Amino acid sequence: MNNSIVVVVLASAVAYGTPLLYAALGELLAERSGVLNLGVEGMMLVGAVMGFLAVQKIDGAKGVVLPLAVAVAALAGAVAALVLAFLVVTLRANQIVAGLALTILCGAAGLSSYIANDFELATDPGRYSFEEVNAFGLQDLPVVGPIIFGQTWLVYASWACVVLVGLYLSRTRPGLNVRAIGEAPAAADAMGISVARYRYLHTIAGGAFAGVGGACFSLALTPLWVDGLTGGTGWIAIALVIFAFWRADLCLVGAYVFGAFSALPLILQAKGYTVTPQLFQALPYVMTIVVLVIVSSGIGRRRLGAPASLGVPYVREER
Amino acid sequence: MSSPEPHASAAPPAPGTIAVAMRGITKRFPGVLANDDVSFEVAAGEVHALLGENGAGKTTLMNILTGLYRPDEGEIEVGGKVVELASPRDAIAAGIGMVHQHFRLVDTLTVSENVVLGSRTEPFLLNRAARTREVELISEALHMPVDPDAKIWQLSVGEQQRVEIMKAVRSGSQVLILDEPTAVLTPQEARQLFRTIRVMAAEGHSVIVITHKLHEVLEVSDRVTVLRGGRSIATVGTAGATPESLAALMVGRDIDVARRRESESTIGDVVLTVEGITAAGDRGGDALKSVSLSVRAGEVLGIAGVAGNGQRELAEAVTGMRALSAGTVSVAGEPLKTGDPRAAITAGIAHVPEDRMHTGVAPSLSIASNIALKSYRTEAVGPFLRLGLIRKRAQEMIERYDVKTPGPETAARSLSGGNLQKVVLAREFSSEPRVLVAAAPTRGLDVGAIETVHGYLRQAADNRVAVLLISEDLDEVMMLSDRIVVMYEGAVAGEVDPRTATVEEIGLLMAGVTGTAAGGET
Amino acid sequence: MSLPEIRIEKRLKQRRWLMIAVPLGSLIVAHIAIAILLVATGHPPIATFRRLFDAAYIADGALTNSLIAATPLAFTGLAAAVAFRMKLFNIGAEGQLYFGAIGASGIAILLAGQSTPVLIAAMIIGGATLGAAWGAIPGLLRAFLRTNEIITSLMLNYVAALVLNYLIFDSLSYWRDTSATGLVFPQGKTLVDAATWPVLTIGSVAIPFGFLVAVAVAFVVWVLYTRTRFGFETQVIGDSPRAARYAGMRTRRKIVAIMCLSGAIAGIGGASQMGDFRHVLDARGLQQANYGYTGIVVAALARYNPFAVVFAAFLLGGLQNAGYTLQSAEFPSGLVGVMQGMILFAMLGGELLVQYRVSIHRRARQARTETGTAS
Repeated sequence: MNNSIVVVVLASAVAYGTPLLYAALGELLAERSGVLNLGVEGMMLVGAVMGFLAVQKIDGAKGVVLPLAVAVAALAGAVAALVLAFLVVTLRANQIVAGLALTILCGAAGLSSYIANDFELATDPGRYSFEEVNAFGLQDLPVVGPIIFGQTWLVYASWACVVLVGLYLSRTRPGLNVRAIGEAPAAADAMGISVARYRYLHTIAGGAFAGVGGACFSLALTPLWVDGLTGGTGWIAIALVIFAFWRADLCLVGAYVFGAFSALPLILQAKGYTVTPQLFQALPYVMTIVVLVIVSSGIGRRRLGAPASLGVPYVREER
Repeated sequence: MSSPEPHASAAPPAPGTIAVAMRGITKRFPGVLANDDVSFEVAAGEVHALLGENGAGKTTLMNILTGLYRPDEGEIEVGGKVVELASPRDAIAAGIGMVHQHFRLVDTLTVSENVVLGSRTEPFLLNRAARTREVELISEALHMPVDPDAKIWQLSVGEQQRVEIMKAVRSGSQVLILDEPTAVLTPQEARQLFRTIRVMAAEGHSVIVITHKLHEVLEVSDRVTVLRGGRSIATVGTAGATPESLAALMVGRDIDVARRRESESTIGDVVLTVEGITAAGDRGGDALKSVSLSVRAGEVLGIAGVAGNGQRELAEAVTGMRALSAGTVSVAGEPLKTGDPRAAITAGIAHVPEDRMHTGVAPSLSIASNIALKSYRTEAVGPFLRLGLIRKRAQEMIERYDVKTPGPETAARSLSGGNLQKVVLAREFSSEPRVLVAAAPTRGLDVGAIETVHGYLRQAADNRVAVLLISEDLDEVMMLSDRIVVMYEGAVAGEVDPRTATVEEIGLLMAGVTGTAAGGET
Repeated sequence: MSLPEIRIEKRLKQRRWLMIAVPLGSLIVAHIAIAILLVATGHPPIATFRRLFDAAYIADGALTNSLIAATPLAFTGLAAAVAFRMKLFNIGAEGQLYFGAIGASGIAILLAGQSTPVLIAAMIIGGATLGAAWGAIPGLLRAFLRTNEIITSLMLNYVAALVLNYLIFDSLSYWRDTSATGLVFPQGKTLVDAATWPVLTIGSVAIPFGFLVAVAVAFVVWVLYTRTRFGFETQVIGDSPRAARYAGMRTRRKIVAIMCLSGAIAGIGGASQMGDFRHVLDARGLQQANYGYTGIVVAALARYNPFAVVFAAFLLGGLQNAGYTLQSAEFPSGLVGVMQGMILFAMLGGELLVQYRVSIHRRARQARTETGTAS
């Protein structure tokens, strides 16, 4: 039963949804603070390449090297995000242009490719990669076994991150401040909360998450290097944050829904239906547009929580 | 302009220890000297009014005291120590809190979340039950009922103000600044607010009330500092003050009813008719409730009222900027399409909008473009603009209206308030309108510019334009109008004749006290 | 303890010399940054730059190839500039270009027997129409439902890519080559020779017809924005929507019109891809090129000035061409993207100097107990 195509595809939907989930959690943090970071794809690729570089070049046991590689990936994504934060928070650059510039700078034909080329990463497969862990020995349970208990550590860690990010935003003092800044930066500023500092920190944290998301590819899903390894996941993450109404728990659901939608045509085809895969693949994007239309009505926005200051630089002393 | 100007040194001494003092504060903005060597001090337990007309520099001064702006010159003393307030956090730490005219609340958060926002003492892990209880205690202590778990966007404006006050008190403010606190309140809410202010003062807080309303100053404050044109003119004890003496300080001249302008032209037929119009406000609910009025050719109809009683919405409704849910606006008997500014323009309604910098002009565009803002449709050959003609006309207007600027290509944003208003007036008059709607036409202008603008408004009436003058400046309305309609809570409270009406009479109507002898509407 | 504090204030007047100095300075800063990267990774900076510029602009045929690379960027750059000037952030030029390619190739297949001029005109119209239609969707949503056009136009890029894939890989559509080989290796129908756009040869440089169209479009956009009522309204709406409404301008219609215009220009870019270069609806190739996103960078570099867009497209096109040419050789791959990103970052930073006045003050931190010096 656990070899049925449905279970296999769903299990892989979870695996492939995981980098998306990390990137979306990162983008969620940035957007909640009012920064629309369109550089996710670039940050993911930098994370992916640096994580892979760490695996190839750091000597040590697998149990040491892999966590180190994840940390390196997170750091790389964070540094890329720092550049963006400097541009959009301090220099008040247009967030769209800056984000795109970051993706071009770091992206498939940019820094990630440059680094990979310089260290000749494309020649060998990864020395180590994350493998599936049989959690609590429950991998053999019917249906849920392979989907929930037969994943890599990166997947389990992503669930912890969802809980942490969700609790952080809803239950902690800094989380409250972030929500306030995203919604009404002037109000937060008046209460002595540093808008710039929070935007910096959350953009950078977002970059770290994106870096880990990128590392999911190079350290687990496809443990080797090709330019443009992430294949547009960063862009989908931006859609996912909206699709999930800027909530961490819904990011988890959304990531797997997005994953399942791209896997669904395979299932149907296997069952003998003739299907148009593009129809299913387009659904997440169309649904994101629908969600956006809903939240752009005034009441919808307040109830559902799109940060009102998203994409708008905050300038205090403007008259 | 020959009024006596008492010096600050002649002011009565502060009744207790000095809680906060500002000395020699100067603040410049691009093109504006907002504060010029301003000094004043407030004692602990004192209610101190900052009185001044719109644009006198009150709000800027308080933004400096709350660390939002930094002064170019001068020093601030809190509790006897010179402090540098580099950010709002510094001000909060120094015990200074402010309730802004436009509330600084986060709409999507709850009351209690807003109250504790930015607090350093709040635990890292938020405790909602404790927070709710704390807010309940504050609201009881200050006699201000409000549900701690409601979201801000669900509250009335009065309730939102209470949240602002609770925020300031919760953050440990010893000095509380209220910016035009009653502008958005009903009389009942205002009375309750004054009670809260008194409770706070009795507990040793210092309360600074920014206002331009004389009766509030007399009702609530112990002392008053008058600002005019960015300078501090005098500090006086409220006990010895009268509305007349304060008004003289504030305006810089005695209000001279004899300077009233009388119509030189005979008043003609009705041009603008507003019949039973109702329109929704920005926050939902009806901002205009079945308002009817009419203006004749050559007549100035003044609309008086406390800010936020539907005057802005009336101006927008008449000029097509706001859609009506009932009623009609007609010019010379022709009803206009609702919510269509172009229909109003075509019908000959000129509009001097309240927000001149972002509605009256496109600030980054040139003066020439802004003068052509409405006429560009005709200054064209097919789809192409006649740029030469537009520039030439702009040059003419700059000369005729004496706009101080390097030239027609200068960006509108670099003009001073008075010169900007001249550009707006030049454009609006050049269309040879039948109706002129002027909303707060002199707000924030200096005395000279005010005179100029008043001159143009009179001239418009003399040229048989029907003028609807909407202003919170009662003196202005009294001086220029042939008739005055007072608005209260979105409806016409009454109509008075400026030649015979007293300020008290109008004041009662403005406060919503109906059934007076002031008479109804025509 | 005192720390310097940076104060930033909006300039009332823009300095003209800064408009020239800042882009130049940005280019220099970007090159210095890249030189540091090259040195750090053991590449000789001067030689690398020399090879890059040689391959981009100097070597035999370099200019021709750079113009080929620049043409689609000029179109997508103009598409972005047109919309961004009105503060409409259309990042959907990517998808609008795909639809332009679909429209142009469709009509070229339909009118296969016609002469070249007829085909060129039909392809441009077909590309512009479908591009405009695709751009109209975020425009209508923005105008009538106030939906943020940034994300909707981004999402529609993916939908457009899927449409492209569907037409070529997963259906027997009108565009797909349904001959025997086409069924095994999915690809589009090859357009007739008459649908190949001409080339203007000056000396050794071949200028693609599409590039000339882009220059013409830049001119039209310039006239539109500086000389017409439509452009005037656009300027006002972009600067202050409230002032536009106050002046009786039909804001919603303009939003839709600008998005359609932006989409149409990107669509002509798609038509040029069909007529000038690819001659076949190349689903994968179009998606890999990222013309739409790079176009936004081009527009930003040009500060949304239409003529500067063409020039910036030529600069970036040259870099891209050099990137392809040097791909196989001992040349650091990815350098072109790094350069593009760096130049843009430096430009964005420099923009601050144009728009704001930056001054550095010494500031005292926190409340001081004794009377301090006046700042």
